[in-house]
Amino acid sequence: MFFNSIAFAVFLPIVFFLYWFVFNKTKSTQNALLIIASYYFYSCWDWRFLFLLVFSTFLDYYTGIQIEKGKTENSRKFWFWLSILVNLGFLGIFKYYNFFAASFSDLLNTAGLKSSPILLNVILPVGISFYTFHGLSYVIDIYYKRIKAEYNFVDYSLFVSYFPLLVAGPIERATHLLPQVKIKREFNFEKAKEGVFQIIWGLVKKVVIADTCATYANAIFDHYSSMNSLSLILGAVYFAFQIYGDFSGYSDIALGTSKLFGLDLLRNFNYPYFSRDIAEFWRRWHISLSSWFRDYLYIPLGGSKGGIWMKIRNTFIIFVVSGFWHGANWTYIAWGFINAVYFLPLLLRNSNRNNIDAIQLSWNFKSVKTITSILMTFLITCVAWVFFRAKTINDAILYLKHIVTNKNFSFQYLNNERYNYELLLMIGLFVLVEWNNRAKIEPFSGKNSMMKVAFAIMAIIAFGTFSDYKEFIYFQF
Amino acid sequence: MKRFLIYTAKIFIVILLIAIALDGLYTCIFLQSKNRGKIETVFNSKQQNYDVVILGSSRANNHFVSKMFEDKGLKTFNYGMSGGHLFEASLLLKLMIERKYSIKNVILEADLNLSSDHQAEGIAALFLPYIHNSQTIKKHFQTQENFNELYYVPFYRYIKFDAKIGFRETFFTAIHKKTNTLDNLGYHPLVKHKNGNMKNNIINLNPLPKNKYYEEIKNICRANNINFIAVMTPMCENVKGMNYFDKVKKAYPEIYNYENVVVENKYFSSCGHMNDDGSKIFTAKILKDFFDK
Repeated sequence: MFFNSIAFAVFLPIVFFLYWFVFNKTKSTQNALLIIASYYFYSCWDWRFLFLLVFSTFLDYYTGIQIEKGKTENSRKFWFWLSILVNLGFLGIFKYYNFFAASFSDLLNTAGLKSSPILLNVILPVGISFYTFHGLSYVIDIYYKRIKAEYNFVDYSLFVSYFPLLVAGPIERATHLLPQVKIKREFNFEKAKEGVFQIIWGLVKKVVIADTCATYANAIFDHYSSMNSLSLILGAVYFAFQIYGDFSGYSDIALGTSKLFGLDLLRNFNYPYFSRDIAEFWRRWHISLSSWFRDYLYIPLGGSKGGIWMKIRNTFIIFVVSGFWHGANWTYIAWGFINAVYFLPLLLRNSNRNNIDAIQLSWNFKSVKTITSILMTFLITCVAWVFFRAKTINDAILYLKHIVTNKNFSFQYLNNERYNYELLLMIGLFVLVEWNNRAKIEPFSGKNSMMKVAFAIMAIIAFGTFSDYKEFIYFQF
Repeated sequence: MKRFLIYTAKIFIVILLIAIALDGLYTCIFLQSKNRGKIETVFNSKQQNYDVVILGSSRANNHFVSKMFEDKGLKTFNYGMSGGHLFEASLLLKLMIERKYSIKNVILEADLNLSSDHQAEGIAALFLPYIHNSQTIKKHFQTQENFNELYYVPFYRYIKFDAKIGFRETFFTAIHKKTNTLDNLGYHPLVKHKNGNMKNNIINLNPLPKNKYYEEIKNICRANNINFIAVMTPMCENVKGMNYFDKVKKAYPEIYNYENVVVENKYFSSCGHMNDDGSKIFTAKILKDFFDK
């Protein structure tokens, strides 16, 4: 069941009605309903992996309590590492085993030793990277005594399995979500209305921007060797908007849906393509993952303390691991590495926190500099996206090489029977709307909200891509 | 909560109103369509006279050279539709009859398409803008599984088939952007492809014993005194399961088998489609057999 499916359009109102009209007596009944709904939601994808989700939830719940109760440091350590190893073990088996086995075999073959890898015939359980990280952060926080263990299994299960965030985040923190599920939610009109706005804007991003861009980006990336320079440049731009519309659209729908149930989730995107440098981009893109890696990997490794080499090492580790988190493929590792390379000059000049203020433009030279910085950041981001989208690193390099060597900037008719330039107007309008509303989380609130909503609905109905259905990209991670 | 429910109801009303308005607008635009495709052209046309009308799938569209018929003094149009099944061919013929077309001969390509009596969604979708403007189209679709959604939910058909009749197609229709579908009197010539697929496997394909839409076309022709000529058209040499054509002949003895009139690969663009040279040889044979008097 996907957020942009008819099934979800039926599921959501039913759960909403039951939540506020039937199960609204206590927070326990509210939570119980949300758990049932969440497990049903998850089982619609593949009910067999529900057991994995429940097991993972129980493991972290139980080990969390044992760590807290642990009388000796050894006992605490035992339960802590048990949880970490089992969680990462599941992730390793389902997500990374085949990659490591195939890569190791390739290495042996390169060294002249004949080998064929033993691969597992498993599919990746949807959302495993997200709910594993929920559990890990919870256990780590208990171990370091930042939070208390949760003794109510239903409340804890809801923190891990809450359906709006279950399959593609945002990656929640126990400190943020658990306190909310511990109290009975009262209906709040303004919050629910904001939720509806976010859902509608998320749908615009998904079906109008992302899925339409996907049609063109796929046609270009899948036949890059026959594309001219202009098509290849546009292909990278279309993919940049596809992945942004897809993932931030998903996050908007998740946040909006959650607001309908009175629960706030962490913000995941903050207009990342208006960033003035790559450090700012990473403070605005997939915020819940970036901050997770910052808090649970970068800082424990020493963060920006220590010498310059330590800083560089930690930066590369966090970016490469972040890339690898996305999928078991060298292209994601390369993408993470490239971002680390982008980040390096800022780190060395100690200017990675230069752009933390809000963007203001006026008629002066500083604004020209700001716009140039934004465009440059977008440009280098697009180069990195080529690695993210390409099937292999070699394909990515050839793609970029073709841009430089082809030198043909004419309009080209693509394999999807459309011209390469056709989406530019739509993307331009989208950027304009986002720019004008960059201080808000969605563009509808304020004056004439109903009229803006009507325009958005019209855009979804008239300009959306429905027949060529595409799953949310981040479901595969 | 009451406020929220009222607010949500307002949004639903907005959605409904927008869907109705867009439905009306799109339909209105498609009703003006003239130079985009065969279906739109027939629907928006008035009475025509034809000596020969060609119907079928791409194996009709790419195989019958209309101009060769015209050179013989036969007013002809190739209404074959690439990707189409007999479901759409039948409906197109019904629309022609409804518009009082005077047709002397119908040539129907009937071979591989006899194995299915389902609609070809991509082509059938092109009739849907007119579903509220034509009883014939409505009736034809009534037996289809998703008829109720397509007919009663405003704008649903434009969303469901947005790649075919969505915003892009509507926009081009509105500005009367011409396509090449109607060029060459409907015949679409193919060129020889270097990498054309010259293999085909139709072992598992079987003609339906009584294809509903084939029978429909036959009956329409009979009822309107149209000479009905059904033919099987050529395929390349490397086809596995060539006895399919024998099965067709057994089930439908009236269909003429021209499968082996052109066989050499050099006359094919891909295994199931002849190139322009092959089509000319094939058309000459058809003309000789049926129209040489």
